[in-house]
Amino acid sequence: MDYVVAILLPQLLHGLVFGAALGLLALGLTVIFGLLGVMNFAHGELYMLGAYAGIAVVGVTHSFWAALVVAPLAVGAIGAVTEVATLRPLYRREPLYGLILTFGLALVFREGVRQIWGGDMRRILPPFTGSTPLLGMTYPNYRLFLLVASSLLLLAIWLFFTKTRAGVLVRAAVQDAEMLDGLGVNVPRVFTLTFAGSAALAALAGLLLAPIFTVYPQMGVEMILLAFIVVILGGMGSMGGSVVAAVVIGLAQSLLTLWMNPQRVAIAIFAIMIVVLIVRPRGFFGREGVLE
Amino acid sequence: MKRVTWGFTVLVAVAALVWISAPAVSQPKVVKIGDLGSKVGVFEGYGKYQTMGVQMAVEELNAKGGVLGHKIEIVSEDDETKPAPAVRKAEKLILQDDVKLLVGAVSSGATLAVMDVTKKHKTIHWNSVSCAEFMRTTKFHKYYFSNQPDSRMQANGLAKYIVDKMGKKVYIFYTDYAMGQSDGRQFKTALEKLGGEVVGVAGAPLDTKDFSPWFGAINQSNPDVLFVAFAGTDSLRLMTQLHSFGMTKKYKMAGIDCFLLQQDLPSIAEPMEGFVQLNHFSPYNPDPNMQAYNARFKKKFGTDANIAAGSYDAVLFWAAAVEKAKSFDPDKVSEAHEGMCVDNTHIGRQCIRKDDHQVVMDMHLYQVKGGKNLPIARIAGSDSIGEAMVGKDPVEGFTWEIKKK
Repeated sequence: MDYVVAILLPQLLHGLVFGAALGLLALGLTVIFGLLGVMNFAHGELYMLGAYAGIAVVGVTHSFWAALVVAPLAVGAIGAVTEVATLRPLYRREPLYGLILTFGLALVFREGVRQIWGGDMRRILPPFTGSTPLLGMTYPNYRLFLLVASSLLLLAIWLFFTKTRAGVLVRAAVQDAEMLDGLGVNVPRVFTLTFAGSAALAALAGLLLAPIFTVYPQMGVEMILLAFIVVILGGMGSMGGSVVAAVVIGLAQSLLTLWMNPQRVAIAIFAIMIVVLIVRPRGFFGREGVLE
Repeated sequence: MKRVTWGFTVLVAVAALVWISAPAVSQPKVVKIGDLGSKVGVFEGYGKYQTMGVQMAVEELNAKGGVLGHKIEIVSEDDETKPAPAVRKAEKLILQDDVKLLVGAVSSGATLAVMDVTKKHKTIHWNSVSCAEFMRTTKFHKYYFSNQPDSRMQANGLAKYIVDKMGKKVYIFYTDYAMGQSDGRQFKTALEKLGGEVVGVAGAPLDTKDFSPWFGAINQSNPDVLFVAFAGTDSLRLMTQLHSFGMTKKYKMAGIDCFLLQQDLPSIAEPMEGFVQLNHFSPYNPDPNMQAYNARFKKKFGTDANIAAGSYDAVLFWAAAVEKAKSFDPDKVSEAHEGMCVDNTHIGRQCIRKDDHQVVMDMHLYQVKGGKNLPIARIAGSDSIGEAMVGKDPVEGFTWEIKKK
C-alpha cells in the first residue's frame, strides 16, 4: 500500500500532467499536418516563443494570467504572418519544400530569441505556490492546475471542432480543401487562421509548462521529438489520436522510470512506437490515404 | 621585347614580396591560445564565463608586452557540451590554429575526450571547470593541468561537514554522466568512511526536463540530507521542482561547487536558501584577493565573477611557465609548470603540485543566504587535495550498493 501511495500514484499523476500538456502541443502539430500535409518542424519553436513572449508580458504586467492571454495571441499573430509570407507560396509544391522551409524557420526563431534574450536559462514563476494533500501525498498546486487547465483546453478544442461551424470548416479543409474551395469557402483564410490557432496552442503549452521546465532557446527542440512521436502514434492527422497518444506517452514515460534506468525510457518510447506501427501501421486512429 | 617583359615580371615579383613581408616585420609576433567551452546547451553559462576569464588574463598580459615577446590571441570554439564536437574543435584549434595552450572543455565528458587529443598532439591543456576525478588519475598525461577542485577534493572538504553538522542519513542524487558519477562515487565513499549512512542513490540523465519521477524514491528513503550533483540548467530545474514539492524545506541541501553560478542564485534564492557547497570563489567572500579580482572583473564585464575564474589563472600559469621555459615547446613548458607558484591568481598565491599537475587550492564552505554564497568555514588546500594517484582508481572496489544499517 505504501508503494502505491508513495510511488505509484504520484508517478501516475506526473504522467497525466505531462501527457495533457504534451497533448496541447501535439494537437496543433497534427492539425497542421492534416491540413497542409507538412510536418511543421518549427512547431517546437512556436512552443518556445510562447514561453519567451510570456517572459516579456510578465516583465511588463507582472501578471502570469495576462501573459496566458497575450502570449498565445502574439505567437498566433506571428504564426499568421509566417503562414501568409512563407508557407502559402509553397502549397502547390512538393511537401519537401514545406519541410525544408519550416526547418529553416525553426533556426531563425531559435537564433532570433538567442539574439534578443541571450542563451541563459530563465524562469517564469508559477502564479501560485504551495501544495495540496492528495491521496496521502502532497502535490504542487501548479501541477494540479496544469492538469485541469490542459484537460479543459482539450475539451474546449474538441467542442470547437465538433460543435462550431468554424471547427467543421477546418475539419472539412483537412478532408478535402479543393472541394471546400469549390463550395465557395475562403480556404486560404481557413489555412491562415488554423496555422495561427495551432501556433497559439503551442505557445500556450510552452507558457503553461515554463514554470516547471524553465525557459531557454533549445526548449522546443527537445519537446518536438516527443510531439512527433505522439502524432505518429496517434495517427497522422488524427486529433483524437494525438490526445490519446499524448496521455499514453506521458504515462509510459512516467511509469517506466520506476522500473528501468530513465535513460532507457527514451529508447522504450521508440520501441512502443515501433510495436504500435507494426500492429497498426496508421497509428491508433490514422485514416487511410494520409501517408500513402 | 621578351627581355623587357621578363625584367618587368621580376620587378613586380620583388615589389610584391617586399610589400607582403613589410607588415610582418613591423607587427609583433603572435601566439594563439584556444578557449574551448559550451556556447550553447545545458552548460553555456560556464562556457561564457570561462571565455571572460581567459579574455581578462590575455588583456592584462598583452598590456605588459604579451608572453615571450608574443602578443596573445584567443581563438574561441563551441564544444556543444558533447565529446564528439569537443574533439573535432580541439583538433581544429591545435592543427589549424596552432594554439600553444588549450583551456577547456566545460563538461567533464568533453574534457576527458579532449585529453586524448592534447596528449596525441602534445599541447598544454588546462581544465578550469570540469570536476570528474579521472582527469588527474586514470586519464592523466604530462601536458594536462587543472585548477578545478575535482570530485575527490570536494568530497574530502565537504563530506565531514555534512556528517557532523547536517545529518548522518544522506541521499545522493546525481547527473548520470562522467561528472555526476564521479561525484556520486567520491561522496558515497567519503560519507560512509566518516560514519554517515547513504540511504539511497539515483542518477538522472543530463538535461532532464522533469525530475519529479525520482522524488517518490527520495521521500521513501527519508534522508536528513539531500546531496545533489548537478550543474547548469539541470540544477535550476531540479531546485525549482524540489521546491514546488516542498522538499527543499523538508531536507537539508548540499551539493557540488558548480551546482549553480552566483549569477543564477538571486532568481532562485528561496529554493536555494541554506544550500551548502565547497567552493574556491565567491564575490561575497571578504577575502581581499577575491575582492580585488572581482572588482577588476566587474569593471570589465559589468557583472560579478564566479567559479569559472579558474580560466584566468590557467592563462597566467601557462604564461609564467612559458617565460620560465623561454620557449613554447610543450615538453619544456610542461616541465616549467611543475611545482610552479603564481602570486596574482584570483585567490592570491597558488602552486601546482608536481605529481598530478593539480593546483593546491584553498577553499571555503559556503552557504546560500538571500541568494548570496556566503563563506562559513575555510578548508586548506592540503586538507582536501588527497594523495596523488596517477594511473590508479581513487575509489577502487567502489559499489553503488546501499549498505543497510
